[in-house]
Amino acid sequence: MSSHREAPEISKDPVADSSDLYAFVSPDDPDTVTIIANYVPLQLPASGPNFFEFGDDVLYEIHIDANGDARPDITYQFRFSTELRNNKTFLYNTGQIESLDSENWNRRQFYSVTKVDSHGKSTVLAKKLQCPPCNVGKISIPDYEKLAEDAVVKLKSGEKVFAGQRADAFFVDLGSIFDLGTLRPFQDKHLVGQALFNYAGKAVNATDETNVHSIAIQIPLSMVRRDGKKRVKAEDSGAVIGVWTSASRRQVQVRNGEGTADDVYVGPQVQVSRLGNPLFNEVIVPMAEKDKFNALAPSEDKKFAEFVATPELGALLPVLYPGLFDNLAAQNKKKEDRADLLAILLTGIPSGLIDGFQNNTGKVQADMLRLNTAIAPSKTEKKFGLLDGDLAGFPNGRRIADDVVSISIRAIAGVTLPLVDKDFEPDAAAALVEQGLSIKDASAKLLKKFPFLGTPFDGFSVPS
Amino acid sequence: MDRRTILALSVGGVAVAGASVAGISLAGESDAETLSSKDDSPLVISVRDAKKGTLDVFSGNSKKTVTDKKLAAQLLKAAGR
Repeated sequence: MSSHREAPEISKDPVADSSDLYAFVSPDDPDTVTIIANYVPLQLPASGPNFFEFGDDVLYEIHIDANGDARPDITYQFRFSTELRNNKTFLYNTGQIESLDSENWNRRQFYSVTKVDSHGKSTVLAKKLQCPPCNVGKISIPDYEKLAEDAVVKLKSGEKVFAGQRADAFFVDLGSIFDLGTLRPFQDKHLVGQALFNYAGKAVNATDETNVHSIAIQIPLSMVRRDGKKRVKAEDSGAVIGVWTSASRRQVQVRNGEGTADDVYVGPQVQVSRLGNPLFNEVIVPMAEKDKFNALAPSEDKKFAEFVATPELGALLPVLYPGLFDNLAAQNKKKEDRADLLAILLTGIPSGLIDGFQNNTGKVQADMLRLNTAIAPSKTEKKFGLLDGDLAGFPNGRRIADDVVSISIRAIAGVTLPLVDKDFEPDAAAALVEQGLSIKDASAKLLKKFPFLGTPFDGFSVPS
Repeated sequence: MDRRTILALSVGGVAVAGASVAGISLAGESDAETLSSKDDSPLVISVRDAKKGTLDVFSGNSKKTVTDKKLAAQLLKAAGR
């Protein structure tokens, strides 16, 4: 998956597990950037009586680097607190929830937003903002969309925020991919699969009908650009920002055994989860290094550059699909660093390689989602993004409908290598290989406006 | 041994160092929303190396590493070791 349960330790701590990060120039307000960080992945909609929520003991952060040093120039911090209205009931709601202040809604979650500048100065932008409830079902919540809309808040400082449950729009054929790298549309070409199948399979979206908890923020572009300009050109280095999200926990927790109210949390925040580019920690970083990756800052990512330069998946593809990736196999034998992947994932793509495009942040190698904010949203999005000439798509930031799994596989298979090596001819299969899914395989429809992710699946309609 | 006793023991002649461990962030943790380090707030001491007297002291948003063999020995005794 993009980053759902991608490392051994965080897979045991879903409340702090960042599963997807999106950053794109907002189609509903092109003078802003929308950043969405998803947590608490793989929620089954029917999850009463204790529905999912953010961790009151987790510090959630969205970081923006505006000058290419892989250190945050702006950090938005989100802290949550949960309140019970009624200590005498076991129920999440004791009647219908028709508004955010409904007396029938027993367990509510609130949050604060704090902005930290490049000097470490904190400013609390808002306190006690309300999350919408989880989508229990039509009986309990007759108009969920209205509640979610009411939970979108425009801050006095200029940002728009939302935090709460949403439908997970990430699409991936998880059961197939982690069964020895099988892509169902190519299962009959697979090293093992060719003995089992004589037909191409149809991909299955493993994350469909699951929910996540999203932290979404829409920020005026002039606030995130290094020079504060409202208008910049795509070739300007100041047009590019790097984005990542992280979750941290207090270093010490002491459980006193009489309910959480008496527990002790002290010490500095320790980062337990991090996400920039989708799939970076999942399929680039070896399992033995994944927990370390989650604990480090992007400025430390030089440590992981070797895994980008010679990706394990790049060596596996010619083995798993015999005869389809011979040019890639020959390239692998040269043992040359994959300069294309190093640029895409760790420094950004410099000017001169793709007409009218760059998202380079300089020499510091760091896993950040790099977005050229001067490139306007596409009128017609293409799911293969930059690989299909859609300059507003991944790896220029990441939109919700971008097929990041297939884009990443194609890039590793060699389609981006000619950007830096004109003599390399990608295998024909490299431009055709894909997982076989699109955003249409995610059942929840996306919204046309902030926070864009669709209405969460409700437990009554999706009971299992 | 209560917390005030520990504080009293730890102020005399001990080396104190701020936290500098990868993954630990103090950025933005000084505002009013975060933990207090007042006298009545919790404090946790971890004996990292009893022989060297290396102790990690967690209070509020901070961690300080101190070296105090005498205090380490007293803590071990209090723990029945």
